[in-house]
Amino acid sequence: MHANLAIQTQGLTKQYGQVFAVNKLDLEIQSGQFYGLLGPNGAGKSTTIHMLTTMTAATKGDAWIAGQKVSDDPVAIRRMVGLVFQDSALDRTMSIDENLQFAAALYNLPPAEADKRIDELLSVFGLQDKRQQKLLALSGGQRRAVDIARGVLHKPKVLFLDEPTIGLDLPNRRAIWRFVEQLRRDEGMTVFLTTHYLEEAAACDHVDFIQQGKLQRGGTPTEIIEQIGAYVLEIDTPEPEDIAALLTPMFGIPIREDQQLSFKILADDVDFSALQKTLADNISSMQWRKPNLNDVYLWRFCSPEDKTA
Amino acid sequence: MSWRPVKAVVGRELSKLFRQRARLISAMVRPMIWLLVIGSGVGSMLAEQQQDNYLTFLVPGILAMTLLFASLLSALTLVYDKEFGVMRMMMIAPIAHYWIVLSKLIAATLTAMVQAILLLLILLVMGLISVKIAFMLLLPALLTAICCAAIGGLIAVYSKSIDNFAVIMNFFIFPVFFLSGALYPVNQLPDYMHYIVAVNPFSYGVDLLKHAVPDVDTDFSVITDVTVLLAFSITAIVVACWQFSRESVHEPLFHRGTK
Repeated sequence: MHANLAIQTQGLTKQYGQVFAVNKLDLEIQSGQFYGLLGPNGAGKSTTIHMLTTMTAATKGDAWIAGQKVSDDPVAIRRMVGLVFQDSALDRTMSIDENLQFAAALYNLPPAEADKRIDELLSVFGLQDKRQQKLLALSGGQRRAVDIARGVLHKPKVLFLDEPTIGLDLPNRRAIWRFVEQLRRDEGMTVFLTTHYLEEAAACDHVDFIQQGKLQRGGTPTEIIEQIGAYVLEIDTPEPEDIAALLTPMFGIPIREDQQLSFKILADDVDFSALQKTLADNISSMQWRKPNLNDVYLWRFCSPEDKTA
Repeated sequence: MSWRPVKAVVGRELSKLFRQRARLISAMVRPMIWLLVIGSGVGSMLAEQQQDNYLTFLVPGILAMTLLFASLLSALTLVYDKEFGVMRMMMIAPIAHYWIVLSKLIAATLTAMVQAILLLLILLVMGLISVKIAFMLLLPALLTAICCAAIGGLIAVYSKSIDNFAVIMNFFIFPVFFLSGALYPVNQLPDYMHYIVAVNPFSYGVDLLKHAVPDVDTDFSVITDVTVLLAFSITAIVVACWQFSRESVHEPLFHRGTK
């Protein structure tokens, strides 16, 4: 369709029996963008990626990668995209070098070129000294790094990252993101990311949400955080019902988790000190702060209106 | 279509074969056990002048057995790779998915031939065959290896996981081997067994190998053997490729966690 779009879908649908894993998805992602798709487990994130990378066929609808229809020539699509699967795609009994040489040969890279590219990528990931080591000898973070290196060996136009940092500790996650940033900067590839870790989506140019296969429009991380309101008010109290009843007329229905209530505050001129004095005897703690992406996520997927519906 | 991806898949299997020495050694020990234990055990029940004949009779049989185990087990790495994730690497590569099956079957055939040649060398040293017979056995061995790889490919694309490996062993490998004429002449079997042997494609491989060894009775003509082997192999490979290219096969690969 539009050649300047890296990814486009129209009514993209995947049905398993009666279940719609992905339901009439319409996407338009500009070339060079860092796009994030957020949603709970089983929302359809991986299925979307698998349809876009020819790993599974759509039940209905169409998708285009860089203007080429995905269903027309899957092999050509696979040449243009890189995919880092949620689970590792490496052979644990082989060394880093053997794994990457094997992957490079699958992409038909001549050995000399592959060798140079592997060198280049391993130095980005700080793994150049471990090239001959067995995968079994590496840490989880290092293995993930090799998985990502494998996904970008052939310099794809579009890189799909399916929860790339799941199960990794914080330093490793940060390291992975530095690599992805550097790859984006150096090679200008479009990145399509799914993640649970919301702070990671903060680096995206655009974030959308998906729930039960349905896309919910988002925006830039700043925009969607602003949409939440001016503040988020969190109250710990032994009497959540009473406090909720008292404050709902002012701030709307809160999200309740056990003894904690969380309100969206739309107005930016609420006198929290006065409120604290009024509630003083009935609460154990109270804090108000600027909203972040976690709040966006919680209010999207755990909002109180949803539960009553 | 370039050959580099195919070479990579084949190279990976062969390097694994040579790296796993225990596998290679056990692949040589297995036919020796059959030859020496069964050969002399069953042989001792025969009249003295028949004993040497039975050992000669077993040569094509144990060669066929080596080809069957090697080729079929190697083809089953299609399932192993699915279990351990490497299949994802091949699926996302810019090659048509049936090439994954074809490459694996080429690898299986070569793996089997390497083991067959090693066995022939051992048999040569033992003085059970001559150099001429060893060479005569090569082409029949190749056709048999392809046939066994095709059987393995067919099993692999229809099995979801390697959990049913014991099932594969008991319901495919052993029946295919025992009901083939590898261990005994087919014409001495009861009638109903004849039919089972006749529908077993592996029987024709065994029979073709027997043709290469003088003084061993055969059950079918060379033409029949070659025709059946080729017809079966081509059909099985086409079906395996077709089944593998259907996306539903791979859904367990990608949806294990969420379903």
